[in-house]
Parts: sequence; C-alpha cells; structure tokens
Amino acid sequence: MPDNEVVIKVENLNKFFPMKKSVFSRAKHFLHAVDEINFEIRKGKVLSLVGESGCGKTTTGKTLLKLYEPTNGKIIFLGRDVTHLLNTDDKKWFHSKTQMIFQDPFESLNPRKTIFDIVAEPMNIQNFGTLRKRELMVMEILKRVGISPPDAFLWRYPHELSGGQRQRVAIARALVMKPEFVVADEPTSMLDVSIRTQVMKLMMELIKEMNMSFLYITHDLAVARYMADEISVMYLGRMVEHADSEELINNPFHPYTKALISAVPVPDPEFKRKFVEIRGGIGKPIDPLPRCRFYDRCPFAMEICSQKEPELIEVGENHKVACFLYNHERR
Amino acid sequence: MRPILELRNLKMYYDTQAGQVKAADDVSFVLNEGESIGLVGESGCGKTSVSMSIMRLLPENARIISGNIFFDGRDVVKLSNDEMNKIRWAGIAMIFQAAMNSLNPVYRVGDQIIEAITAHEPNVTFEEARQRVASLYKLVGLDPERMDNYPHEYSGGMKQRAIIAMSLACNPKLIIADEPTTALDVIVQDTILRELEKIQRKLNMSMIYISHDIAVIAEVASRIAIMYAGKIVEMSDSVAIFKRPAHPYTVGLMSSFPSIRGEKKELVTIPGEPPNLLNAPDHCRFVPRCPFATDECWKAVPSYTEIESNHFVACFHPQNLKKRVSINA
Repeated sequence: MPDNEVVIKVENLNKFFPMKKSVFSRAKHFLHAVDEINFEIRKGKVLSLVGESGCGKTTTGKTLLKLYEPTNGKIIFLGRDVTHLLNTDDKKWFHSKTQMIFQDPFESLNPRKTIFDIVAEPMNIQNFGTLRKRELMVMEILKRVGISPPDAFLWRYPHELSGGQRQRVAIARALVMKPEFVVADEPTSMLDVSIRTQVMKLMMELIKEMNMSFLYITHDLAVARYMADEISVMYLGRMVEHADSEELINNPFHPYTKALISAVPVPDPEFKRKFVEIRGGIGKPIDPLPRCRFYDRCPFAMEICSQKEPELIEVGENHKVACFLYNHERR
Repeated sequence: MRPILELRNLKMYYDTQAGQVKAADDVSFVLNEGESIGLVGESGCGKTSVSMSIMRLLPENARIISGNIFFDGRDVVKLSNDEMNKIRWAGIAMIFQAAMNSLNPVYRVGDQIIEAITAHEPNVTFEEARQRVASLYKLVGLDPERMDNYPHEYSGGMKQRAIIAMSLACNPKLIIADEPTTALDVIVQDTILRELEKIQRKLNMSMIYISHDIAVIAEVASRIAIMYAGKIVEMSDSVAIFKRPAHPYTVGLMSSFPSIRGEKKELVTIPGEPPNLLNAPDHCRFVPRCPFATDECWKAVPSYTEIESNHFVACFHPQNLKKRVSINA
C-alpha cells in the first residue's frame, strides 16, 4: 500500500439519536450528536478529535467503527464504501482491520477471562491461525506493549493487574491482529500521571512501528498536541476547526478553539494566562436551530451568526475553520 | 502570619487483613492564615488520607498512630467526636472529589445548604439562612433564583459551584478541596478555579488543594507539597518547586507533563509503577524508579531536610543544585 493513501474518509457523516418518550411513540425530537462531519486520515497518521464532554467526539469514533449505524453520510475505508455493511464476510473483513481502545481499562476487560483469552479474542472471532500460532502472537504483542515476561501474565485475571498494565493489555488486544485503523477513546485519562506518559509513548512507538492510522479522542489539548499530526476541534456535533497540531495550538482562528487553548492550565506558576471570555456551559444539540452552535457563548457573535450555520472554509494550508469572522468575502 | 493548621509527624495507617498500609507516614507541614497550599501526588499516595485525617473522617480500619494535627491551636487528634462535629464545616469545610454527586437528588439544592447552616448555628432562623444562601450564590456566581431547583436541573459546573457555596456556608477558616475540578471540562474548570481563588482572597481563607494535576496546582497554590507513597518528599513555594525541583520524583513529574505552551518538548517517563504501601520498606520508597539511586538509598530512609530557605526535600541526591543558593554557603 502506498504511504500516502487515505485509509479512512468520512463524508457528511451524521448521527442523530431519536428522543422518544416511549418505545412505541414516534420520535419528534432528535439529538444531533454528529452533524455533517468530514475528514480523512492517511496511512500512519494520527488525527485527534478534541472537545468538551457531550460534543460528539466519542459518537464519531463509535460510528466510524460501525458500533453505531450512521444516520446519513458516507464512510470510505481503504477505498470501499463501508457505510452499510450487510454481508457477513464484509463485516468480518471490516472488523478485522479496525479496532477500538476504550477509556476505562477497569471496565473494558472482562473480569472472568484470563489475559490470554482477552488478547486472543479477536483471533478467535476471526478464526485466525491455530491455537499454537495464537499463543505465539499473544506472547509477542504482550512483550511489545511492556507486559513482561508475558508467560507470567498469560493465565492471570485483570484484577491482578494495575491500571497501567490493564491499559497495556487493552492496547495489546486492539493491536494483535495488526489493524489498519484504530480509534482510541481517551485511553490515558484514567491513568496516573507517571503511567500516562509511559502509555502515550508506547502508543506513539507502536503507531510508527506498525504504520497504523489512529483516531485519538481526547478532551486534553496538551495530550492531543503530543499524540496527533492533525487536530479537529468539535463543538456540539459540529467540526469548528481543523489544522495540523502545531498550527492549531499556535495559531487558532475559531473563538471556541482560542477559549479552549487559553483555558488549559499551564504548569508554570510564573505564567499568567489570558482570561477566558466565555461563560456558561455546553448544552445539548437537540433539534438545533440553523445558526452557529457557539452563538450563545461567543464573545464576537454577529447578526449573521444567528441566521445561518457557518461552513468550514480554508484559511491556510490544511487549516479550516467554521466561523463567519473569517469569511467576509463569501457572505 | 499566624499558622492555622499544623501537622506534626502524622502517621495514619490502615489495618487490613494482608497487613498494615502506611497511607500517611510522618507527614508534617504548616499552613498559615490566608495561604493556599497544593498537595500533589498520584492516586494511592496518601493525599486523600491526609485530608481525611484532618477532618477525622476515617474509616473503621484506619488509625492515627501518632502525631498531632493542630487546628487553630487545638489538637484535632485528641478531640471527642462531639467537639469534632462542631469543627467540621464551621471550622474546616471540605469539597469532596466528584462533589457534584454528593448532592441529595430528592431535596432542593438551596434547602440542602440551609440545612448545613441551621445544623451548625441553631440560632439562625430559616429566613436568615435563606438570605445567607442567596448571598453565597451570588458569591460563587450562581443565580439565587436557582435555589429552589433540584440537583438534576443543574449542570456539572453549577453543582460544583453549589458545593463550593455549601462549603462556605458556615464561614470556615480552612477549606480542603479534594480534586475540585477533576470531573469538569477545561473551560468550566478555569472559571471555577478563578472563582475559588477570588473568594479565598476576599474572605482571607486558608485552602488546601489536592490534585494529581500539577498544572492546576501551579495556578492556585502558593506553596506545593509533593507526596509519594505516603510521604511528603518535597515541599516549597510553587516557583521553587517548578524552577528548581530537587527530588528526582518531582523532576520526573515536571518533565512528564505535556504542555501546550512553548516549544514541543520530548516527554520523559518515570519508569515503573508506584509501590504498594503494604508493609512499606525501610529505605527510600522511590529507589526502584530513581535514575540517581545509589547504595546509600537502599539502606536508609532519607531525612526531610531544608536545602534552601523554606525548601524541604527527603532525598540523598537532590537535583538542580546549581540553580540554588545553598543555605550553608
């Protein structure tokens, strides 16, 4: 596969959740968890989705892996349209090449299974190789993620491991089949500081080594800066800004991105941050009006912001922003 | 400045079936009136155990083995339960971890704060208490009309503000904030931290912030204590801790934190994992992970010494010597 190939591409992806009063009634209202999202991830690259809780970043990740059925839009994976997979063989093919790493290693590992069973499960489901081969592969990946010596851990249970070790096992399970594309949903936010850096470094090494594409979901811009090549900022289901990591951190355009960046505490007592001008909290995108979703909280809100929704427009090389402050000429 | 809280060689152990867990081992520090200190460490290092000892809210299997906790001149360790009840909330208030889940969902938020006031000050009438709550709401940036709402009608940040209002209800002299913003989003976290700082300065209160996040502590605390495996390994004013950290663990913590400001620096990891506090060893507890360890470190526990004015560290090999003016020189 050529190095620059697009591994996964998303076109106008939507995921709405119906808000039903009872099982039998028809939904009148919809929660727009993911609304018109577009992006692509190339081979070996990491894209980070950043935003506050409830902005739809996890839903996007889960929809990409078909854990949710998309309401609308298109997902293209390795050149094939995988938006609606009906055939069992196609489903198997798709799920053998994609994986997910979850946030909480205390909940994502089955407590009744041994480490070997947990890590070998993807291979069992895919009917991959002989038992002997599976065992060798499990040992190899466990060693690679820093669970060593692996044979001492194979028959242990998750409760015997520390949080950091559990997350390593979860990573091993995701990577044992050498997937092309992995969604990692806040994989380090439950870990302790010193363990967190270890796991972040391990993931970065593995991404390089196995040349995988990663969607890294986090609420922490500082972590995103270290993990990702590109960062997309989401707000209430919409993508508001997208750029290369350093560009986004050093030269943000959208008022929301600016606020997010200036709200991150800086580990330096002598540094005084700029005041964040944004008040209030994030709402829920239930039947959103056709206007900028950030309108209520935006310190620069103009008349046009309440009348229509801004589109993502190019403001620099691979730097897009959805804000009317930056598209005067297009109005 | 008058000291409001002084911990002297506090030892708090848990008795478990597997043995004794030394959750707080020889912890000493002084907190002055109007000052805010930060207690930093990883989970299981004893930060919460220290704060629970101060409040005397300990589970049954926990014992304060020795040491003193002087609050406002009185030794909290020796007080009876009734006397302690009077100090809690009126003298020392606490903002708990995940405080938003500590509101009772079936009572109105305002009534819960009124209850805290009338329980401690029986002379206050309901109307007076209500007025006080209204002014507290304004202080923490909430609309007083929201007093009659139930907790589920509040957002996460609003619940946190309500909890802060509740902690202020009886004019405490000291507030212990245990991870006050951990569950909140960055923008909300920022507003809450600024609010707390403002109120603290306005009312001249003393604060203990407990967090695993050194960036949050850097912003709110004027002095920082770094805890590792039940002990304070380093303590100084926050600038000294960040600019010239002496303990290898502090040095490791500083360089393992990703920052969004300045050049993108390579992250340094601290190898290994924090130790189990069960049957703690009688040598430095950081030795297995320490890049500077020598034979000496495996033999004895380093004493807690002052290496420059008001900068204490428990290590045989303090780092960043050149940046410091030695007190002996």
